[in-house]
Amino acid sequence: MRRQLRSRRAPAFPYGYRYRLDDQDEVNQNYLADEEEEAEEEAQVMTVPGLEEEEEEEEGKEEEEEREEEGQGQPTGNAWRRKLQIVTEYLWDPEKRMSLARTGLILVIYFFFYASLAAVITLFLYMLFLTISPYMPTFTEQVKPPGVMIRPFAHSLNFNFNVSEPETWQHYVISLNGFLQGYNDSLQEEMNVDCPPGQYFIQDGDEDEDKKACQFKRSFLKNCSGLEDPTFGYSTGQPCILLKMNRIVGFRPELGDPVKVSCKVQKGDENDIRSINYYPESASFDLRYYPYYGKLTHVNYTSPLVAMHFTDVVKNQAVPVQCQLKGKGIINDVINDRFVGRIVFTLNIET
Amino acid sequence: MEPGKEKGTATPREQNQSPRPNLKPVTMNKNLRKKKKKDLEELKKEVDMDDHKLTLDELSAKYSVDLTRGHSLKDAQEILFINGPNSLTPPPSIPNWVKFCKQMFGGFSLLLWTGAFLCFLAYSINLRYNEKADKDNLYLGIVLSAVVLITGCFSYYQESKSSKIMESFKNMVPQQALVIRDGERMQINVKDVVLGDLVEVKGGDQVPADIRVISAQGCKVDNSSLTGESEPQSRCPDCTHENPLETRNIIFFSTNCVEGTARGIVISTGDNTVMGRIASLTSGLTMGQTPIAVEIEHFIHLITAVAVFLGVTFFFLSLILGYGWLDAVIFLIGIIVANVPEGLLATVTVCLTLTAKRMARKNCLVKNLEAVETLGSTSTICSDKTGTLTQNRMTVAHLWFDKTVYEADTSEEQTTGKTFPKSSDTWFYLARIAGLCNRADFKPHQESVPVAKRATTGDASESALLKFIEQSYNSVNEMREKNPKVAEIPFNSTNKYQMSIHLLEDNPQAHMLMMKGAPEKILDFCTSFMLNGQEFPMDEEMKVDFQNAYLELGGMGERVLGFCYLNLPSNFSKGFQFNTDELNFPMESLCFVGLISMIDPPRTAVPDAVGKCRNAGIKVIMVTGDHPITAKAIAKSVGIISEANETAEEMAARLNIPVSQLNTKSIKAIVVHGSELKDMDSNQLDHILKTYKEIVFARTSPQQKLIIVEGCQRLGAIVAVTGDGVNDSPALKKADIGIAMGITGSDVSKQAADMILLDDNFASIVTGVEEGRLIFDNLKKSIAYTLTSNIPEITPFLMFIILSIPLPLGTITILCIDLGTDMVPAISLAYESPESDIMKRLPRNPKTDNLVNHRLIGMAYGQIGMIQALAGFFTYFVILAENGFKPLDLLGIRLYWDDARLNDLEDSYGQQWTYEQRKVMEFTCQTSFFISIVIVQWADLIICKTRRNSLFKQGMKINWWFCAIPYSALIFIYDEGRKLIIRRRPGGWLEKETYY
Repeated sequence: MRRQLRSRRAPAFPYGYRYRLDDQDEVNQNYLADEEEEAEEEAQVMTVPGLEEEEEEEEGKEEEEEREEEGQGQPTGNAWRRKLQIVTEYLWDPEKRMSLARTGLILVIYFFFYASLAAVITLFLYMLFLTISPYMPTFTEQVKPPGVMIRPFAHSLNFNFNVSEPETWQHYVISLNGFLQGYNDSLQEEMNVDCPPGQYFIQDGDEDEDKKACQFKRSFLKNCSGLEDPTFGYSTGQPCILLKMNRIVGFRPELGDPVKVSCKVQKGDENDIRSINYYPESASFDLRYYPYYGKLTHVNYTSPLVAMHFTDVVKNQAVPVQCQLKGKGIINDVINDRFVGRIVFTLNIET
Repeated sequence: MEPGKEKGTATPREQNQSPRPNLKPVTMNKNLRKKKKKDLEELKKEVDMDDHKLTLDELSAKYSVDLTRGHSLKDAQEILFINGPNSLTPPPSIPNWVKFCKQMFGGFSLLLWTGAFLCFLAYSINLRYNEKADKDNLYLGIVLSAVVLITGCFSYYQESKSSKIMESFKNMVPQQALVIRDGERMQINVKDVVLGDLVEVKGGDQVPADIRVISAQGCKVDNSSLTGESEPQSRCPDCTHENPLETRNIIFFSTNCVEGTARGIVISTGDNTVMGRIASLTSGLTMGQTPIAVEIEHFIHLITAVAVFLGVTFFFLSLILGYGWLDAVIFLIGIIVANVPEGLLATVTVCLTLTAKRMARKNCLVKNLEAVETLGSTSTICSDKTGTLTQNRMTVAHLWFDKTVYEADTSEEQTTGKTFPKSSDTWFYLARIAGLCNRADFKPHQESVPVAKRATTGDASESALLKFIEQSYNSVNEMREKNPKVAEIPFNSTNKYQMSIHLLEDNPQAHMLMMKGAPEKILDFCTSFMLNGQEFPMDEEMKVDFQNAYLELGGMGERVLGFCYLNLPSNFSKGFQFNTDELNFPMESLCFVGLISMIDPPRTAVPDAVGKCRNAGIKVIMVTGDHPITAKAIAKSVGIISEANETAEEMAARLNIPVSQLNTKSIKAIVVHGSELKDMDSNQLDHILKTYKEIVFARTSPQQKLIIVEGCQRLGAIVAVTGDGVNDSPALKKADIGIAMGITGSDVSKQAADMILLDDNFASIVTGVEEGRLIFDNLKKSIAYTLTSNIPEITPFLMFIILSIPLPLGTITILCIDLGTDMVPAISLAYESPESDIMKRLPRNPKTDNLVNHRLIGMAYGQIGMIQALAGFFTYFVILAENGFKPLDLLGIRLYWDDARLNDLEDSYGQQWTYEQRKVMEFTCQTSFFISIVIVQWADLIICKTRRNSLFKQGMKINWWFCAIPYSALIFIYDEGRKLIIRRRPGGWLEKETYY
């Protein structure tokens, strides 16, 4: 709109007219005279009256601003003051008594623009949810092969404790107890079924059907169940560490050969550990706990565990231990990821 | 000069009421640096000297020098010691490393340096508080620094090629001078010439200082480097004009003495000479910022404002959201840095370079890269007349014979086909006189050159006649052979005519006396006139007709010559010894034949070009050293003063009322004389520049040219100045864009200019304006395109902070976009063709029509950028959702997600992820976010091609894209088929031949 106006009016103007003094250092003495002339000049010009008025008003205002500044006559800082003035006027225009008057329309337009953008993204996300199944992830390549994690886990894989000072190991015991609450025999018997070992617990049927879960009782862990020894061996310097494999929907270990766990000293003397008791004794994750059907339908699924009971570790020195999964289809030597198929932790038991 | 003597000389100076700055150079040299600014003001003032008005005795007293013996050697030594050598002082030059630093730390670079510094800061904070610091910030900092360094070096290289103004001035200075000291003539080094020295100058010399002539023999000097007038001017000891630049008794430093000899007293040396003042003025002027630099600064302000605003907002937001101080500071830095368009500086530089090359092909050689755009923003062109608007070649424009004015063809290529009745007998006589009574001649070996372009010996008017006769009558050489010259009186400024006596080819015994000269002089010789080949006695009617014709031709700014002849009686037949000194032959009662008038005609393409400038809203002002009448005539013929407009004087003459009674409102054209300009203050000049649309400044000095340019700039105009002489160089330097002439331009003017017109043609400026406007538009497109991707680059980080989702786009990928995938397309936008007729709109208003305005930012950031961000986020959510993390579960997951010790993070399906698995996932997402941006940038690139027109109309021929698509399909089908067969027939023939 502005541009059109200008070009329509322009021929009647000498070209230099529209320019304003920029350099505040040089105060233009006859500015007022020029303005009067300009007003006269404008009066001669024939244009659409309404639009013209608006433009003039604006111009007049700008000039007023400039004149004010000249009156103050401070050469430095005027540029900034002028900018500030423009900003404040932009926010609150005292003549039109309107806030953001000039931008009111654009704000409305932007509101509708963003509203429709929001509608579009909502629609697209809705369509996304239509295409992906709530029960099965579309792709599981990224999460395979399974990772490994141990319990107790308290922000560190270094187990440093002093047998004679319970406060150094008490939090491991609390952590383990808390973790094993879900494995209490009574709870497992009540919620889950006792399914046949040594084979997959496949539940065909509709995808959205609730699936049953196999029992994994706390008592399977024997000495590491915390039932007989409520300190999980920490009080005697024979700590129990539970190992679990990350859940992956639809993951099946190779048929007939359950995934086994084996631990050894990672670096240093092989004999630093001496003996480990595994519970269950097979040191493996039974096939009946697979496959996993996803948390929406497989609500009560409890991850199988293997407990490692380090009964005779060398004391008063850090022993790095690496526990690996072994089995067909298991990868335990990914260089970039030290938690895929294996886990490394250190035991430093002081007496 | 001994102190006692100095005091003695002070008295006559005071008598003359002229504080000639005799000792001023001493003080000036001492306080040169302190007073630099003040001196510039001083230099802008007119040359103020009165030595030309002094009598020889006063002169002798003033400089305490003997006018025959010169200074004594001892005096000369002392004056040299006091005043310093007679040479041009170079301005205190800025060391190279300062220039380099200016390139390195100016404008856009500063923004990038700040970014780089913040990156390093963020990295070191990270390093200090986290064991495992993210190296992204380090890389980013390094890349930013590299970008600035490379572009900085490039600009420095560009810059260092120019700015050799002072060297070019020095080339004009002669080496040796002939002075007379102690009565002996001696050849000395020009540097050793001192005030008051008695100097001798002879033809071919360059003048060693400003010299007041005390005696001269036929001395002519070429002042073209000072005044722009190419015609040699004679010099004599008499003061002929108030103005020292116009008086005949002063010759100026570094001008050429063409012929004759002169002897004079040195009245100023070195920097105090007229030329020295121009040199120091030119090299001392500081140029303002180019418009594009102003625009880029404005752009930086905008971008910085947006960046700081976003950064600070999110700084506080992140504090409110519960992040620690350290995190918040790193976020702040990250946001600010992410807002820096890394590739833009390089893009702009490359775009300008490309345009500069394109302009060079169109004969506009751009010296300063930023000046490429300046011509497009130009709202006023101050053009020199000679050589730019005109051909710089006197040409016959009109003839008057048989009581009729005929127009001759003045175009460069003789294409207008204007003709006149060549069958008239009067024309026969006229042509014969013009050809024979003429000392000009063609230089040899130019047979292949068109007549108009041949080089000649002799002065400009005679050459013009020679060429004219050669073209429209007959071979002049042949004519001269057949009508041999017997005697002649050459032209001189006192008798103002030239006469020669020839034997006639049709009557070999008879002599004919031919004469040409100033028309009024010629008429005085005549008692009869020729009409259609018949002689008639001179009558009053004829005299009135003559006067009218003379006034008409003179009023067109043309130089008019009259022609007459006399058939000598038979007693002066062949063999008579003519004596031109005693005039032993009759030289009255001649027969008047006609008038021929000459002008330096405008170039053919100029009126059209001026018209185009008009249409483009550019005001064309003529600033010339020439006379007002000539200037006005040329201005009218090229359209600088349009046909409809008339000056106050003309209107007054037409209405027959005094100028003071005119209604000045209706007058749009004015011719301002240099002497009027001299008495004006800046307000009056502003008033003239504002009130009048069509302005011609005539008789202007170099300083006045500068003042006019400054006046225009004060009114906010962006000024282009064209010029070719040394006298134009201050104005060229001061102008927003100085345009020098490549062929006729002096070395100094080329050094002072930002652009050189290789073909000297004003019309090339129009091309330059067009290209300049185009690149401005295209830079807008380029910047709009580049800025758009800023939003999809920065929103991931913002969402990362607000929603605590895994980081959707990494720093390195941002760099890949800014410096990789966005650069070449952005540069390609520099090649866009104009959308509308860019030569039909007004020049942009530098105050309001910015390169980057809030509308551009609004479109790029607020609208297109938002859509792009949406595209990226959608891809990001799709990939995460398909792999198990649904969007809603991602909110707030950041702390766990980025925890390297947490290796069994559950997703929406209950699956558990190790840290590395999650990170691989995250990088996949970042890659796809990156690709999404690239893909939406395709669309952005295409839409940025036009700002108003439809893409289908202007942007591209979409249907041409489809031609290749079937072939792409063919490739797919063919290769899938091949692979199918290879799979089906392992080890088969096809596998052996094609499996790679």
